[in-house]
Amino acid sequence: MQRLPDKQSPFASLRRDTPGDLVFKALLALCCVLVLLLTLYPIYFVVIASVSSPDLVSTGQVWLFPRDLSWFGYEQILADDRIWNGYRNTLLYAVAGTALNLLVTMPAAFTLSRREFRPRRVLMFFFAFTMFFSGGLIPMYLLLRDLNLLDNWLVFILPSAVNVFNLIIARSFFEHSLPEELHEAASIDGANYFQFFLKIALPLSMPILSVIGLYYLVQHWNDFFTGLVFVRDYSLQPLQIVLRDILISNQAFSGGAGGAGGAGAGSYAQQYADQIKYGVIVVSTLPVIVLYPFLQRYFEKGVMIGAVKG
Amino acid sequence: MTSAATARTAGGLAPRRAPGPVHRLKRHFRRYWQLWVMVAPAVAFVAVFAYVPMYGLQLAFREFDFAAGITGGDWVGLKYFQQFFDSPQFWTLLRNTVVISVSTLAAGFIAPIALALMVNQVLGRRRKKFLQTATYLPHFISIVVIVGMLQVFLSPTSGLITRVAGLFGVDDANFLGSASAFVPVYVLSEVWQHAGWNSIIYLAALSSVDPQLYEAAKIDGAGRFSIIRHVDVPALVPTMIVLLILNMGNVLNTGFEKIFLMQNPLNLGVSEVIATYVYKIGILSNQFSYATAIGLFNTLINFAFLVVANQIAKRVSNTSLW
Amino acid sequence: MLPKPHRRGGPAAVASLAAAALLLSACGGGGEDDNALHILVVKHALTGPMADMGWVADIEEAAGIPVEWEEVSADWDQKKSTMLAAGDIPDLVIGANAVTDADMVTFTGLFEDLSDDMDALPNVQAMFDARPETELMATRPDGEVFSIPSYRRFWPQTSTRQYINQQWLDNLGLEQPTTWDELHEVLLAFKTEDANGNGDPDDEIPIDWSPAGESGFGYFQPSVFLGSLGLPITNGGGSGYFVEDGTVGNFLTDPRYKEVVSFLHDLYADGLVSADVMTQDYSAYQSVGRGDGDTAKVGFSWGWTASDRFGPQIADQYAPIAPLAADASTTDVAWTYDSYSLNYGLNTITMSAQSTKKDAALKVIDAFYGQDLSLQALWGEFGQNIEDGGNGVYTVLPPADETLDPSSWKWTTTLADNSPGWIRDDIEVTLPTDIQEAVEDEAPFADALAAIDPATDIWPGELIKMNAEDSSRLSLLHTDILGPAMQRWATWITEGGVDAEWDDYVAELEGLGLTEAVEIHQRYYDEYLAAQG
Repeated sequence: MQRLPDKQSPFASLRRDTPGDLVFKALLALCCVLVLLLTLYPIYFVVIASVSSPDLVSTGQVWLFPRDLSWFGYEQILADDRIWNGYRNTLLYAVAGTALNLLVTMPAAFTLSRREFRPRRVLMFFFAFTMFFSGGLIPMYLLLRDLNLLDNWLVFILPSAVNVFNLIIARSFFEHSLPEELHEAASIDGANYFQFFLKIALPLSMPILSVIGLYYLVQHWNDFFTGLVFVRDYSLQPLQIVLRDILISNQAFSGGAGGAGGAGAGSYAQQYADQIKYGVIVVSTLPVIVLYPFLQRYFEKGVMIGAVKG
Repeated sequence: MTSAATARTAGGLAPRRAPGPVHRLKRHFRRYWQLWVMVAPAVAFVAVFAYVPMYGLQLAFREFDFAAGITGGDWVGLKYFQQFFDSPQFWTLLRNTVVISVSTLAAGFIAPIALALMVNQVLGRRRKKFLQTATYLPHFISIVVIVGMLQVFLSPTSGLITRVAGLFGVDDANFLGSASAFVPVYVLSEVWQHAGWNSIIYLAALSSVDPQLYEAAKIDGAGRFSIIRHVDVPALVPTMIVLLILNMGNVLNTGFEKIFLMQNPLNLGVSEVIATYVYKIGILSNQFSYATAIGLFNTLINFAFLVVANQIAKRVSNTSLW
Repeated sequence: MLPKPHRRGGPAAVASLAAAALLLSACGGGGEDDNALHILVVKHALTGPMADMGWVADIEEAAGIPVEWEEVSADWDQKKSTMLAAGDIPDLVIGANAVTDADMVTFTGLFEDLSDDMDALPNVQAMFDARPETELMATRPDGEVFSIPSYRRFWPQTSTRQYINQQWLDNLGLEQPTTWDELHEVLLAFKTEDANGNGDPDDEIPIDWSPAGESGFGYFQPSVFLGSLGLPITNGGGSGYFVEDGTVGNFLTDPRYKEVVSFLHDLYADGLVSADVMTQDYSAYQSVGRGDGDTAKVGFSWGWTASDRFGPQIADQYAPIAPLAADASTTDVAWTYDSYSLNYGLNTITMSAQSTKKDAALKVIDAFYGQDLSLQALWGEFGQNIEDGGNGVYTVLPPADETLDPSSWKWTTTLADNSPGWIRDDIEVTLPTDIQEAVEDEAPFADALAAIDPATDIWPGELIKMNAEDSSRLSLLHTDILGPAMQRWATWITEGGVDAEWDDYVAELEGLGLTEAVEIHQRYYDEYLAAQG
């Protein structure tokens, strides 16, 4: 009989708009348009810059429409065999990595959110401490070498298994969004912690699970430092390293003034460096953008479950 | 961790009547072993990959001596810290770092909240989704490209923003080359890039607000702004506090790569920060001990701020990290 | 940590098992146990895979065992510092200054001392005998040789050539300037009149230069105006060191530097300098120089060659012009002398002290310094890139790929300037057009360069090797000094104030350790002179 209020619009049941509402709506629309314009225009610029003559772009003559259309940048990027291998690697690291991240982070966050669990303060400190103090690159390199993780795909996954920031976010969500009565009720029904976590806490935390998952996914997607420092076998390199190499190989002459190596280096690369720069950003960002709607569907489903059960 | 060792040695001596430490420990584990199991993998990963390499911090107190190994150099105590404090650059670096990071933190803290509240008001799932997706797009643009875009948009001769500023009577603005424009340009571009992304977490919190609260507020005749203030904002407070505490631990952290790329001789007076200095010293000049010491100093200050912020939050709002 | 074994597996249990397995597998350890010679090559980013270079087979043959190439073309500095500090390097490292002097003093014991292996390196020994300065470049203060330089012979003596738009001069009926004042007038005419004749009198940029960074001066920058006052610099200025009458100085606190700065401010104040000059990146600087179609935008600038600086389409509008005199009374005009960095590659090949394939590694080093391989590693393989006419006569061929200019072609197909090698002085080579153009455009600078005696008139940074203590001290001092100095350079030119602030500035730099830095340089220079005899 009673329809669930539409979560997406808290005011859906308001039939008529008061004058105040109208002002509010107008202001809201104005703000939204402004925000959209501010965020989308520069992105649009990247896209048109990636297909326009680089000289016109860098002298500020491309603003609204692409000029002197040229696909050279994309041709260069996509003709590079390494890129497909990079895509495959990144996909593997991102998916496997995020799965491990969630597998490790969510249960830990749950434990840390239980107020009756006294050691949680010490443990939180144990985790938080590492957000600040780190031994530096050299000991890390030596450790990974001793663990046989250099030039090993697991290096993209294992060392970053726990992001303490995400752990804290998830913990805080559990703390504030899981009513204590739920746990009490579950204990009376004889549920233990495992059962409570899997059957009640987790289903209720879909919003945070998808947010944290997205955070982790993007962290893996954008990770180039691991490949840069810890991997020397090119067949293992992720997309970001490949794109960075393409980017740098075309900007190499930009630093030409710096040494004998660059002096006199040709005009060809110089001219297209910027076009490739913008092309690279489009190529590397596209998949994550395409992926988002899928994640968001999941996200919304989670929200609905939350609305029903909460 | 140490309690397990204590327990073993004390084992046989525990009196039966009063529940001794062993007994309490047994009871604790009997009750909570499942929680321990759930947190154990995370503990293990952090122990191995974060705590094991931490011995490297000694380098701040030792001479880097390659032949003798990382921990084999002569102990020099606080020499490198002293060197940093005595450096003619010290106060400038500290001031620049604090100015940049605090303004970034302040603006970067408020903007996502405002954005999330705004997006949450938009009616219609599609419009909302579009707005949300659009605003987080810039997050994915790499720093090199962001700085390249700043250069194109702010160029004193041809930049779009410079021309728009000209329409408003600001002539010959050189946003890239003036020291006073550096911090605003940096902060605003940070906000532009990350506000949408950072609002995701707040939107998640808003999505778990109990719909009955809205109904109740409406029945009470609350206006829209009033509902935002009394229903939405309180729902965000726990997340806000956690993020605020975490941010406090970043007072001396600044984005290294972006500042480095934005540096030019005209803005160097305000753009040289601890991170860029450490890079110039450590990577470019092989001064590993000095770079580690400066890094450690940075960390200690940050950590102190975090601890203080955490204590305050614990007192004031009963929310804390530990 | 767990009180009792748990039977039921949840995600957490699986993960903890995975972690445990990881910890167990950790005991493996191990390293390289194959029989291949490992060579890391720091390539230019454009350079293709080693496997595509025909001459590489000759190197592998010389090694006598299989060679594993590890190719790095980006972010070498970041990779390197970790790799070296962890002591984890391959048998050989190749690339121009891939391992620096500073690395050699920091990572003691990591690199093989080749000074006692010279019997196995006859080609290298022959180069040392024929070009003694290469031996100086290779030898540490205590006599060790950790790395061998290259010698390229045919490059010009300066990288910075000065160009003016001759067509604009002709359009306006003006003569080429010879002094600062004349330049000032010419630039004013460029600005106020429609020099490029496109109908818009305001789109001309009278003068533009390459952006100076925060760490000193480089090529294509107006630091060459110091030469107008008779002060010879090297490599565009670097950190400011120069030599005059046996005394080392630093021009950052020299009154002549002050004159250059105030002259540049005069130009800037008249709106003659590009407004982007302090903030643009190199790529924007180059783009603007290319003008718009056939219409040039820049009147006066510096570059490697006209076609590199202004693009092939408008390059012929520009003429190289001789160094300017500060005023008509100046006689001893100087220029920037860069031969040590253009004709030589510092530290191009370095060997690991831990190498277990020492013989093979030595053979590879020596092979690189053979007559034919030196040429091929520099310009590309015989047949494709070079024609071997026999009897020591060679011709570098034009690019097989017509869309590439000779320079890009070279960088794409071979190691080019990153390669070790020794181009003999007694062979005959027909040069590629890019080097020819650079040498031809150097004609107006010949007098000024001829007046510079590299033995006594310049700071020979490439030939001087410092010990660990001094080099580390200097790198610290320079980090502290150059920041404020470059900042002042930029503000004085754009906003003025050099006269009022000069004395305080000099005191500030001296307080930051400039005096000490100059003294360290002087000490090494004296030793260098003494060693020269």
